[in-house]
Amino acid sequence: MRLDREITCAQVVDLVTAYLEDVLDADDRERVEEHLVFCDGCSTYLDQIRQTIAVTGRLEPEDIPPALQDKLLAAFREWSPA
Amino acid sequence: MTAYKFLGDGSVSPFAGFRWPVGEWVEAAAADPCRRGIHACRVQDVPFWLGHGLWEIELDGEIVVYQRKIVAPRGRLVRRLTDWNRELLEEFGAGVLARTRTRFGAVAVLSGYVGDIQNHLASGRVPLAAFAAARAAELSGGPAEYERERLRQAAWLADRLGLGTA
Amino acid sequence: MVAQPPLEERRLVDALRAGDESAFTRLVEEYGPAMLRVARMFVSSRAVAEEVVQEAWVGVLNGIGRFEGRSSLKTWIFRILTNTAKTRAVREGRSIPFSSLAGEDEEGGAVDADRFLGDDTRFPGHWAAPPQRWEAAPEGRLLAAETLEVLEREIAKLPANQAVVVTMRDVEGFDADDVCNALDISETNQRVLLHRARTKLRRALEEYMQ
Repeated sequence: MRLDREITCAQVVDLVTAYLEDVLDADDRERVEEHLVFCDGCSTYLDQIRQTIAVTGRLEPEDIPPALQDKLLAAFREWSPA
Repeated sequence: MTAYKFLGDGSVSPFAGFRWPVGEWVEAAAADPCRRGIHACRVQDVPFWLGHGLWEIELDGEIVVYQRKIVAPRGRLVRRLTDWNRELLEEFGAGVLARTRTRFGAVAVLSGYVGDIQNHLASGRVPLAAFAAARAAELSGGPAEYERERLRQAAWLADRLGLGTA
Repeated sequence: MVAQPPLEERRLVDALRAGDESAFTRLVEEYGPAMLRVARMFVSSRAVAEEVVQEAWVGVLNGIGRFEGRSSLKTWIFRILTNTAKTRAVREGRSIPFSSLAGEDEEGGAVDADRFLGDDTRFPGHWAAPPQRWEAAPEGRLLAAETLEVLEREIAKLPANQAVVVTMRDVEGFDADDVCNALDISETNQRVLLHRARTKLRRALEEYMQ
């Protein structure tokens, strides 16, 4: 049976992006944080989402290939400002 | 007013990640990027937020009361309550276990929580044990019983740490 | 709320309008790689993505005279890019829904339901199989080149709308408003797409880290 004010781990997992984006209302935010205090599983899950974001941010940008760069420059030179 | 705050190693706040100075007034905008304010516990809120280090904090300005915390625009860490340590946390957990066993150890359905609490304590997860005790209480008599168990936990902590006497 | 564009940006825009080639190459250097990566999420191949980027820059040049600074230059450029890419995707027979989320990929919860305890347990909805900390894996594994390859592959497997949003947010570092403006989607849709994408990327890393 679910408790009156309880938030479950399954719910925390569903709310994790809203929590990180800071769009939860004050009550929901409090309930999530209250849950994180005692729940190692959800603390780990939250950390892993943060780690995932951090690692995703390390994907290297690919350079614009020279051929495309040449085409862009050609397009620029063809263009005449109005 | 005087309130309490749990902080991690190096007096870093657990959710906002703000490193609190001691003895200096801090404005909410500095401590919380979202300007929600400085979060702190009244005595009755303390069992919900059990953490590494417990501090006394002085709050100033208009205080907003939430269900399990209060929020102020300004705060100043006064002192660390050095009596709050691993041993006291474990003693607190043992008390929670003993009370739950006495109340529900012979009650079908609820007695299972006694073993859960024991397991949580054995693995060092005292906050989870305290939640499990409140959960068993709520199942025995509704949401008011959840709050009552949490108040008992708060009373024990207040007594041992001298909370609410300042 | 309309903020004045930063001086630096106004100078760049003025220089571009005046036909300054170095302003153009600077912008291409700064945004080109991200544009290519985002375009790639919309269309079927790398070659087509390059064409989209080229077409988008022509659009930028032709429109720069009308740029009013209501959004940042970056947001404006990416709006042109994503519109160009969307049009191209439709022509390729790929429709990429951003505004309606209903009925796109059928998804259950973020995590397999059997990882949570059932209603007949003492802790319903709580973890039955909690995630294990990645710190336990060999040091540096999370940042290894192979891990990045796992992520790249997983992003490529995402539905295109999720791939676009997570690429803009987490790879390229756009903030939520920029993405909403560039893609013309609501804040809620943006967040749902981001949530689904991050959830799957975490799960892929979890499988890999074990």
